[in-house]
Parts: sequence; structure tokens; C-alpha cells
Amino acid sequence: MFEQNESRPELHVGKSERRVEGISKITGDAVYVSDMAFPGMLHAQVKKSPHARARILRIDTSKAEALPGVRAVIIGKEFNYRLGLYVVDKDILAKDEVRHYGEAVAAVAADTLEIASEAVALIEVEYEVLTPVLSHMDALKEGAPLVHPDLGKYDYVPVFSPQAGTNIPNLSKLRKGDVEKGFAESEWIVEREYTNPSVQHVPMETHVAIVEWKNGDNITIWTSAQSPFTVRNLFCYTFKLPLNKVRVVVPHVGGGFGGKAGIHLEPMLACLSRKAGGMPVKLQASREEEFSLLPCRSALTYRIKTGISAEGKIVAQKMTMYWDAGAYADYAVNVTRASGYSAAGPYEIPNAWIDAYTIYTNKPYGTAYRGFGHVEFFWGLERHMDLIANVIGMDRLEFRRKNLLKPGSITITGERISEHSGNPTKCLDAVAKAINFGKLTPQEEARQKMTGRRIGKGIATLHKAPAMPSFTATAAVVKMNSDGSVIVNVGLTEIGQGSATAIAQIAAERLRFPFSKVKVTIEKDTDKEPYDWQTVASKGLILSGNATGLACDDMLAQAYEVAAQVLRANVIDLDHDADRVFIKHSPERGVSFAALSVGYAFPDGNAIGGPLIGVGRYVAQGLTNLDKATGQGLPALDWTFGAHGIIVEVDKDTGEYKIIKIASAFDVGRVINPDIVRGQCIGGMIQGLGTAICEGYIYDEAGHLLNPSFTDNKIPTAKDLPEEIESFAVQTAQVDGPFGARGVGEHPMISVAPALGNAIREAVGAELLHMPIRFEDVWRALTTKEPIDNWITKTPTGSCRSDPATRTNSPDSAAAP
Amino acid sequence: MLSGFNYAAPRTRGELLDLLAAEGQGAKLLAGGTDLLVNMRSGAVKPRLVIDVKRVEGFSGIEWSAKDGLVMKASTTINDLLRDREVRERFPLLAACAHDLASYQVRNRATVVGNVVNASPCSDMAPALLCLGARARISSKTGTREVPFKEFFTGVKRTVLKADELLELIIVPAEEGGARGSYRKLKRINGHDLGIVGVAMMKKGGLMRIAVSSAAPTPVLVDGLNETSTPEAAVAAVRKAISPISDLRCSKEYREHMVEVFVRRLLEELK
Amino acid sequence: MITVNVTVNGKKYKRDVEPSKTLLRFLREDLGLTGTKEGCGAGECGACTVFMDGHTVNSCMVLAAELEGRSVETIEGEAKEGVLSDIQAAFDRHHAIQCGYCSAGMVLSVRELLKRNPKPSVEQIKEGIEGNFCRCTGYQQIIEAVLDVSGQEGSKGELHYV
Repeated sequence: MFEQNESRPELHVGKSERRVEGISKITGDAVYVSDMAFPGMLHAQVKKSPHARARILRIDTSKAEALPGVRAVIIGKEFNYRLGLYVVDKDILAKDEVRHYGEAVAAVAADTLEIASEAVALIEVEYEVLTPVLSHMDALKEGAPLVHPDLGKYDYVPVFSPQAGTNIPNLSKLRKGDVEKGFAESEWIVEREYTNPSVQHVPMETHVAIVEWKNGDNITIWTSAQSPFTVRNLFCYTFKLPLNKVRVVVPHVGGGFGGKAGIHLEPMLACLSRKAGGMPVKLQASREEEFSLLPCRSALTYRIKTGISAEGKIVAQKMTMYWDAGAYADYAVNVTRASGYSAAGPYEIPNAWIDAYTIYTNKPYGTAYRGFGHVEFFWGLERHMDLIANVIGMDRLEFRRKNLLKPGSITITGERISEHSGNPTKCLDAVAKAINFGKLTPQEEARQKMTGRRIGKGIATLHKAPAMPSFTATAAVVKMNSDGSVIVNVGLTEIGQGSATAIAQIAAERLRFPFSKVKVTIEKDTDKEPYDWQTVASKGLILSGNATGLACDDMLAQAYEVAAQVLRANVIDLDHDADRVFIKHSPERGVSFAALSVGYAFPDGNAIGGPLIGVGRYVAQGLTNLDKATGQGLPALDWTFGAHGIIVEVDKDTGEYKIIKIASAFDVGRVINPDIVRGQCIGGMIQGLGTAICEGYIYDEAGHLLNPSFTDNKIPTAKDLPEEIESFAVQTAQVDGPFGARGVGEHPMISVAPALGNAIREAVGAELLHMPIRFEDVWRALTTKEPIDNWITKTPTGSCRSDPATRTNSPDSAAAP
Repeated sequence: MLSGFNYAAPRTRGELLDLLAAEGQGAKLLAGGTDLLVNMRSGAVKPRLVIDVKRVEGFSGIEWSAKDGLVMKASTTINDLLRDREVRERFPLLAACAHDLASYQVRNRATVVGNVVNASPCSDMAPALLCLGARARISSKTGTREVPFKEFFTGVKRTVLKADELLELIIVPAEEGGARGSYRKLKRINGHDLGIVGVAMMKKGGLMRIAVSSAAPTPVLVDGLNETSTPEAAVAAVRKAISPISDLRCSKEYREHMVEVFVRRLLEELK
Repeated sequence: MITVNVTVNGKKYKRDVEPSKTLLRFLREDLGLTGTKEGCGAGECGACTVFMDGHTVNSCMVLAAELEGRSVETIEGEAKEGVLSDIQAAFDRHHAIQCGYCSAGMVLSVRELLKRNPKPSVEQIKEGIEGNFCRCTGYQQIIEAVLDVSGQEGSKGELHYV
């Protein structure tokens, strides 16, 4: 039967098929939620807190309500709904206390944006400003103000461990072996602390949603979310509604990067719609709101203490992670958990100890961001590996190779690595070779001489597994049309990563159909698509890919069964091509898929079969919960390993630097679409570079966010590309991956920063412990000046903004250039 | 979002000056809008009336003559300037500064006049105009006056312009044509960014001028140097003229350091 | 309200607009041309790039009231009767698209670049699209698409296998 077809040459896998939604995007035809409008649609605007922490004494909405064209005004006190992904710690709108700058305290729905905006300005809020706790390290101190005094009373998902009476919504622990004994046996001990600030995802499309709450609690939500089923399920949890009452529709999404993984604007808009008599209500965040009304990525302080043997083997490592959740736990508790079992990197460490804290502060809250904690902790970890190699006098490549996971190695959670798990050494060797690591070429020597700038080279490894529940599941449905073309339904959203194309290739390959015969739906609708947990974690290819393969098999089996009857043959003797099912030994006897597609009719009119609809279900296999005390267990569906190598040129007089080359390698198991894999490799790498060179939230000492716009939060432009970029794929097949593939959506962003930091250290000796690495940071390190820590700053007003007349602390106003 | 203002597009200079005289503080002139609309969107500026200068006859284009020098009008965009052969050949410093201003599509709209009337300390055009001894021709209903750019800026976002006045022309004297010059701008990324500090240098006929942006409440000119001034003398003079502060973009000491580095490097470059 | 007569993608429109309406909102809300996107509303990101009188502008930084007698071209005018323009076809071939939100502005900036410079160098391409933020692609495949459409050798970058 069709299983035997697998030995034939592949038609689509490994080929750069065009993106299935490419033409609609390149012509402006693709519809995003921001482009949608409905009859009678109202426009929402939000009143936001100008304070990081304050008691709400009074809200007067009467003037706003009196404004003609205003259809609904809501404040927090009206509702008793509680929201939360893992720790249920959030109200729809702030109630008694605001917990971060930019938090929503009231919202308006009106006939036009202008009226809504005017109404918001008319809402009077009286605050008693309270002292905020801004630094996550301060929040741990005895007597620090509690961001959530009621933490002990909140509901939470039991894999987490909130600490009542503290600012700690989760503490994850891992214990393997005996670290103290390991340190005692070590020749060297290297200990350092590494930090990075909060950053913003910056999807080009800001968060946007339209919600209508009709009579009978029939609710429809159009949203730019990554995970429609998560939005539906959390929404229904909050409002205590059956899941079949709420329909979530996600059309094209203008980038997500994790920032759109959870539930955000939807509950507030639902309350506005209900109050406005069920009219649809739309809100698209402004770019400024994207920075503080919507979530960011958590800051991290990461302390690593490593014991190394005389031979250069890591004997023991003690790791303490302090994650700055901001005002709400959202995904940060799960970032902490996922990092808590990955924090050692792709290294074999016999004795490991991790405490990973999630910490509440009065700042915009952290959520998932491409890499889910790994971009942050790999900054420290891979800088640390260089530091160790330099301290013990071992080559940086050799030290890493010696300690990398190999078949037979046991990870820190107790998982045995096999020859199918992927090959970090091969990735590292590929990038080291690509940048001629360890020496300067004659051309580089000449360039150095000519420019006067110093050239340095850095490498860094990385790994990541999907951070997801052990029982994560998905499904696919493949339906044949009466012309023999097919439609694939999966719940996985297309947010730019190219999944729809990869799924189409997998389906076309499995069916052995031309690519043009396969359509994968783009718009996701929880009433129509089969369930998918979430579009996150680089898990889509394996889970939805496998489900799609199974659904194709199921549909073919149905076709073969009917064909066997039509042809009076055994199923086992059948084969098919793009158009028909036929008998292997007499191929001229066959029946077309078109004739089988919706039920076969014999010449006399009798019919058999029915519409060909294949279903495939897939659930993550063999994963376990982690032991709460030791962190031992099997959390990883798969590990994607990788490495970056960077050549940098540094001006030692100014700290300015330029990246000459980046080489990146990932063990993707099997490349489904080379151009899409390369697009992920480069796009992720540049996003990683942004956080490595300049991005980060800067606050004043009162907790006002000072750079909520592109004026002072720069992201890389085309001119920021390295001169040369090379991407490599290693293909160690994943046994349970579709055609051997594993995910690579997040990985390219990880470890770009430490590769850069390591290269700069090599070039000029600047030992950087904080990312991003701004030119001034390099200069200060070189001139042994105190590092500049302006992430919470005493000097908030700039030369271009120091005119009090043009400066406001309103969350609505961007810095004026 | 923008809201709550009226729009007028006068066709003649007279109509424009009448409107300005009548509206005073409540009016804002719209040329490229790349600063004005940003400031209106953020709420920093709330005009009752926006007066579009681009329809006024004679307010666009760029003119060169040996007698009057280079004349830029109220609607002359940055890219108009960069596309002009006379500018590229005779005023390389002007082109260098213009080229470092924002992105291509912003330069298609942003005007030279707008960049200086906005009076941001980080103006990219001001350093060139200061070095080149440019003059501002300022007009109102009651008359016309000329102010050299070294007297034009009075503070952060403040100039000598009164509410009813318009910066009608920017005039770069003909004798500055052929001056050698270059501009160095510290940015946070390689792509378009505000200047964290900017240093322009011009040399002509034994004379040397240096102008610095983002290192004082206004762009500043360092005059009185000559081509034989030592690097130490140049650095000392510049240091005296600037008064940088620390802000979220960088520290005072890094600004001081970078200005000094740029001065030394420009001296090397223009040797 | 101000009445404007404007040509958009070759079609003539007469519309009354509020003085505060930007060109971007005019295109999207009044004409239903939603291919042009807002990325920042402040002239920084280039997502809303359109042609006005033959040159690219950020449409979030133009008032609709300014449009009288002017001509505007948007992404909707780029493909002709269902046939992609050369630039669009090259973007499609090179996977120079991911989430698609920057694509409209990016294509128009490339057109502006190629109008003045039919064979731009890599550096010139980078400068030509500097004002268009793309958070997904890392720009490289866009640059390769531009090299390709301008008929330059070696435009196709490859994923290397180890």
C-alpha cells in the first residue's frame, strides 16, 4: 500500500516550494485583523496608568459617558473576572491598584476612534502614588513592597510553585548529583553574574482584536493571536462559558514572536461589546501601547558557578536565575520553568543545581518571546564558557567540544541522549570552520592593518526543546475536493514562519500529489479547524507535520478501500499517482481520485464510499512531568542544537563595532524547505542581533518607561546586516519527526549575543557581562569605567527631550525627536 | 492619532503671511510634516491651524547663482538638495549632513527649513549650515530680516522665530562654495537614527569651522580656528563650546569622548 | 471637511476628508485600500510607504488634505490584472516574505530604488530599504530578490548542508 511509496524519490520535501500565501501577501490582498471592519463596528481606546504603582482612589467616567458617540465605558471594579495563563493574577482592568506604567484602568468604545480618544481624555482618575518595586533583585529583599499581596490565594496550574507572602510566583528547582562535592573535586571554580534587560518583540503588526458579544453569549473574536485555541480556552475560563459559545478567528498575522501567544486585549473588548449591546468592538494597539499595555520579554539576572577538572571537564555547575516577570506572571513562570531545565546548555554536567525564580515587579509584564528564556540565559552561559576557557587556558572550541552532549550523555533532567537526538558538535564545528575560528586569515590581517580596527572571532552553542505540557496534542484533517485537489485543516497558525508551506509540502509528499493540488487553510477558526495546543515553541513542524501525514494516510486508505471495490482488487495490490488509483500489475485499470472524492457512482447510479476526509491525531510521546524537588524527568519532545560564529571588527578608541560575518548552523533533522529554513535562520539571527546590539527597556526611577517607540528603541535595519551571512543545516534525522524534521523557528535567535560578546572580547579584551552591547558599553569596558546601568536611570531626560514643555509621562506620548 | 485642527493651503506668500499674522501661536507651518505630525501625534504640539507651505508659489526648488549663493526654499526637501548637482559639487558638507538624515522616504518629505526650525539639538542640517555661514531669511507681514544661523538657535526647540514669522529662505553664501567638509555622526545602529553626537568640519581658504550637534542645548559652532590649528587646539575649543548631558541615549562622558574622537578624525580626513 | 481630487493607482477619486486624516487612514478607511499598513504611525518603520507624485513617502506622515491634484500609487497598483510585477515575482521566488506586514512598503521602496538606480549594489539596496523595518526576514532574501530583479549575478543565497 502507500507506506511502500516512501522508498521512492521525494517530490517536495527538501525543495524550496514557494510560500503558499506569498502572492496574497506581496500584493496587499492578505487580510489581517487590522484590515477588518464590520457594520456598526465600534472603536475602543484605553485609559492607561501614568504610574508604576498607585492606588486608584477614584475614577470618574461621567464626562466620557456623556460624550455623543460613546457607546460603552468600563472600569475594573465592574467585573469579577480573573485572567491568567498559569497563575490567575490579573483583572480585566486594574481595580484597586495599578501595577505597572501603561496598565489599562478604563476603556471606551465609541463610534469613531476620535470620539473614543476624546472620551478617554475625559476620564478622570485620582491616584495615590505608591513606591514601586522596580528592580527584580530588590523585590526579593525582606520588606520589599508586595506586587501581589494575595499571591497565596490565586489559582494556579500545579506544575508551578508560587511562594505566598513574597514576590515569587514560581520557583523551579533542579538537583542532579552533588554540586558541593563536585566543586570540592574541581581544579578551577569560575563564578560570574550576567544580566539583560526587558525587550519588546516588535511584531510589525501591533496587537489587534475585534470582539462581539451577541445575545445568548454567542461570542466571536477576531484576533491577531498566535494560538486561537488558547485564546478561546482562557477566555472561557475567565468568563465561565462553555467552549462552544466562543469562536476565535485568526486571519493573517503580522508577526508574533511569542508576544501574541497568550490572551491580551480580547477580554476587555468583550466587556465593551457586551455593554455596548453586542456591537463589534475593535482595538489596535498603537506602537507605544505595544511597549507597555502589551507584554514584553523578561529581564534576567543569571549567576553561574562552575567547577572544572584539571582535564577541562565540567564537574559541577550551580545556576541561579532571577527572572523579572513584571507585574503579572503570564508566561514568565513557564519561561522560568523551561529555562530551569535547560539552563546548562548542550553540555554534559554530572552535578547540577538550579534555582530559577520568577519575580514580580512594578513594570510591564513579561511573556513568551522567540527562544522562551534561552536567548536570555545563553547570553550568560556562553559568555561564561568563554570565560572558563580563558581562565583555564584551554582553546574555546576545544573546551566546548569536550563538554558537549554526545550519544550516551545524560542531560541535567536525566534524559539519555542518543545518536538520533541531534549533533551539537557538528553544528559548532561547521560555524568554527566557516569563520576560520582561532586565527586571522591573511585578508583579515590586511584589513586590520588598513582600518586600524581589531578583528575578533567568537562562537557560541545553543539548544532548545519545545516548552510545552507533556501531553501536547494536535490534529489535522485532509479533505478531497471533487476535482481531486485537497484542503488541509490544521490549527497551527501562519504568522510568517512558513508552517503552512511546510505542512503543504508534507501533505503533497505523503499523497504524492503535485504541490499545486494541496491547499492549507490560512484563516484559523476554532469552530472549523481541528484542535491545536498553540503556535509556539518550535513544535508545529513535528506535531502538526505528523498529524498531517497521518491524515493523508487516512484519506488514502479511504480512497483505496473504495477503489478496491470499484476495481474488484485487493487494497494491497493498489497504487496511485497524482490523478488516480490503479492496480499495480495492470496500471491501465484504475479509477480517478475525482471519481472517488465525494463517493463513487457506478454506471447504473449505485454509489459507494462518500467524501474522502482523512483525520490524523498526534500527541507528544513519552514526556513526563518534572519532579518538583529535583527537576528530574523527560520534558523534551526534541532538542534542536545549533551554533553561531561571528567575526567582528572593533574600534578600540570608540567601542564602535561592525559585524563582518555570521555563520549559523542548526541540526534541523531534515530540511523540508531550504529557503524557509534559511529565512528562519537569518531572520531569527538578525532579531537576536537586535537584542545583542541595542534593544532594551529603559525606565526612570519612578518606573516610567522612557523609550516606548522606535525613536529610542531601535531595531535592526537592512544597513545593520553583517557583511556576510552563512546558514548551515545539519541533518541528524529525528526518528519521530515528519521525514526526520525538527523545528527551528526560535533557535536562530539564541546565542547570537554571546557569540558577539565573545568575539568582541577576543578583538579588544572588553569583558562584557551585560547585554545589549552598546558601543558605549564596549568603550566603558575598555577604559575600565564603571559599566553604565541605565536600565533604571537617574537621568531620564535627554538632550533632545530635556525641554519640560515637550516632555510628558503619558503612556500615549512617544518621545518627540 | 491626529485630531482637532484646521488646514489651510495658501497659494501666495501674501496669503500665507496674513494667515500667520492672524493666527499667531495657534498656527503651525506644515512642510514635510516629518517632525510636525510626529509632535502633533504625541500631543507635544496642538495647533488650531496647520498651514501647508507647499502650495505657495515660489516656495519650492533650490537655486544657485554666483551672486546670491545657494538658496533653499521653505519646501525644499532633503532629497531635493541631494539630487541637486550644484549642491553635490560645491557644498559636499551640506550633502554629507543631508545624507545622514533619517531614511530615504523621510528625506523625500522632510525639508531643510523644517529640520532647522524644529531646533532639535540633534539636527543634522544645522551643523552644515553653521559651518557654511548660512543665513536665515525670516519674513512676516511686517517685513523681512536676515539672521546668521549661529544666532538662530536660542535653546532646546527654540529659535529666534516669532509666532508670526516664517523662515522663508536659507542662503548659503557663494563664497563658501568649494569648501571641503565632512560629517561624523554617532548612532546606536547603522541604520537611520538620531545623532547621539554629530560633528561637522569645514575647511576653506585657511579657515576651519567645526559644528557639533547633540552636545549642547542647541547645535553649536566653533569659529575662529584655522587650517593650521593643532588637534589639541581644535579639541580644546570644541570642548569649551559644548555642554553635553547624560541621557537614555548615552552618557555625558561618552559624548565628550566621541566629539573629541570625531574632531581628531575629521582633521585627519580633511588634511 | 476639505474636498480633494486625487488619483490613486490611476483612478480618480473625489472625497471629503477631515483635516486630521492622514493619507494612510484615507487609503485604508476611505478607499478600502488596506494593503498599505501602519507599523508605527510616526514615520520610523516604513510599513505605510506609498508613492506620492512619483516619490516614496511614509503615508502616516502625510495629511489627506494635502492630496488635491496629486497622484498616489499603492501596493494595489503594483500587480496588473492579476500579473505580479517583476519586483513582486522576485520577492515570491526568493522567499523575501514572511509575515507580510512590511511587504507592501518594502516593494514600493524597492521600486523607488530601481527607478533611480537600475543596478544597485548590495550597499545601495540596503540604503534604499533602510527606512523599511522588517522584523521577520532579516532582509537578506529581500536583498537577493532585488539583485535578481535587477539582473545581477549570484543573487541566490543558499542553505548549506553539512
